[in-house]
Order: sequence, then structure tokens, then C-alpha cells
Amino acid sequence: MIDIKLIEECQGGNFDNFRKLVELTSPFAYSIAFRMLGEEDQAKDIVQETMVTIWQKIRKIKSAGGYKTWIYRIVVNKCYDHLRKKKRHPEYAVDEQTWALISNIISEGPSAELENRETSQIISLLTNRLSPKQKAVFILSEIEEMSGDEISEITGMHKSVIKANLHYARKNISEMI
Amino acid sequence: MKPESEKYNKVLEILRKSKPLLNSTEDIENKVVARISRIPGSEITLTGIIDFMFGWVYIGWVRRSMIAASMVLVMVFIYQQSVVLKRINYLNRQIVIIEGETTTTPADEIERRIMIYKLSGRILPSNRLIISEKQLDQLLESVTELQGKYKDLLNLIQEDPELKNYIEKKLKETDHTGIKL
Repeated sequence: MIDIKLIEECQGGNFDNFRKLVELTSPFAYSIAFRMLGEEDQAKDIVQETMVTIWQKIRKIKSAGGYKTWIYRIVVNKCYDHLRKKKRHPEYAVDEQTWALISNIISEGPSAELENRETSQIISLLTNRLSPKQKAVFILSEIEEMSGDEISEITGMHKSVIKANLHYARKNISEMI
Repeated sequence: MKPESEKYNKVLEILRKSKPLLNSTEDIENKVVARISRIPGSEITLTGIIDFMFGWVYIGWVRRSMIAASMVLVMVFIYQQSVVLKRINYLNRQIVIIEGETTTTPADEIERRIMIYKLSGRILPSNRLIISEKQLDQLLESVTELQGKYKDLLNLIQEDPELKNYIEKKLKETDHTGIKL
């Protein structure tokens, strides 16, 4: 949990405190970015850009709760931009190995945690046909287990739009599986 | 539960369990700090200056003390204003008596005094005579005219020694020795 005192100290322009804030914030920012983009380096770049944006606008933060939502919003928006650019140059190819992995999970049930690479492969494969918005809603709702209100606050989408996107994403992924 | 949703839930469950791990935040920290150090140096300086000047607002007790001090100052200001207003009202009710002087008083001086009298807008007690502004102007004109005529008369007497002697003699006879030409 981020302490508001730490944020206030960063608002004073202290680099050391900001370093601490980066350390505390990076993991969950990375989690979202990685799940949305499916690539470690790109996710790290997004985290970096997010932290720079935070530094520039940290004076606007008034509460610790608001801070977390704000971080998610920045990360998701940056991922949107990235995915939109990527969509113009699709690189993804269907991977038999990933399908084998998914089949294995389905037949044997969830056991050990997956490695980053495997997680990214599965998410990329399952969400390949989704739009950036659908992908964001799917990840925030189904994987990060956020409520409709939280997703609405982060993405700026109306609840009904979120429901519609989620319904489409579920249907699409279920069909693929 | 349908087989599709069962499969879907199994996949979701494993994805939820598999949190992406960030091996080391140090690399990100260093890169971020390096980047923000390069961005507008002026911003960092500006932040420092602003903090130096207004940083105290983040200290609770200083902020509360300042609020209390400003409230006291506002109350003192209101009290002062009320005292000043009261005093002005009191002075407004006072009478400025313009004492008549000898005819040697220049016309400008009289006009000035009358102007002050007009501007002060004072209220006279009921037992005093109140004259209108028009009557005051007429009085002023008469005084000025009288002063002019008196000066002319004095000049005339000064220029003619015979007339002067005659008038002085007449004044002695009528016992008006206090009047000097």
C-alpha cells in the first residue's frame, strides 16, 4: 500500500523518496502493462513512461486511493496507444506450442504458476482478436478482478459499455478455447 | 456448468495465479531517475523554489497557526474600521464655527472657509440659524463687493491728505478713535 506521506514527500521534489515510490508502484503497473502487451521489454518501457508522467504530475495527487486508480489509468492509456500502433503492424502468429499449453491447463487443471513468458503467450493468443478496449476490460475485470466501478474510473468507459465489451471478450475467448 | 465456461474458468484461474514478476525494480528506478533528471531542469529548480517559499503550507501546525493569525488580523482590521467610522460620524455632527474677521481678510480666504463649511455638511443645532447655499453665495458676493469698495475708499483717503485730515478730525469728534485709516 502506498503511503500518502511518501507521495507528499515526493511532491516536495525529493528524488530519493520518488525512487522509493517507483519501487512500490512498478510491480502492479508492470503487472497490468505486461498482461496487456504480453512483452516484458515493452511493459517495462510503459512502466518507465508511467513513472515519468507521475513525476511530472504528482502534485495533483490528493489521496493514496486516488493514486492507485490514477496509476492504472495512465498505464492502461499508454497500453492503448501502444496496442493501437501495434495493430497497424500485426506481428502475432498462431503458436501450436501455446495451444498445447492451454490444452494441458484445461485437461489437468490449474497447478503451478506459469512463467512470465507462458502467461504472455496465453494472453496474447486468447486476446489476439480483441480490440484494445476489449482487451483492457477483459484483463482488468477477469484477471485483475476489478469491479465495474473501478474499471469505469480507470478506463473512463460507462458501465454498460464495459459489460458489452466484457461479454464480447468472454464469448470470443470461450469460442477459441 | 457448460464445458466451454469450465475451460474458460480454468484458464482464467491459472492466469490470475500467475502474476507477472518484475525481477528487479532497480533498473527501472535508475532509468526513471535519469530521465526525470534530464527533463526540464527548470522544473526541478522551480519546484525547489516553490517548496522553499510555500513548503510550510504542508506543515499542519504552521498552516493552522497562519489561519488563526490571519483571522486575528481580519478581526483587528474590522475593529479599526468600525472605530474610524464611529469617529467620522461623531466629527460629522460637530459644528465648525467660522469666526468673522475684520474686513482686511482677503476674499479668497473667506471663500475657502465657506467652501469647507459647505463640504463638511455639518448639522447645526435647532437653535441656530440655518441658511441655504444660495444665501451663502449671496453673502459671499456681498462681502467681496464690500471689501472692494472699502479698499477703494481707503486708497482715495490715502491719496488725498486733506480728506484724510478731515476724516480723522471727524472721527475724533464723534469719539471713534479706535478706527485707523
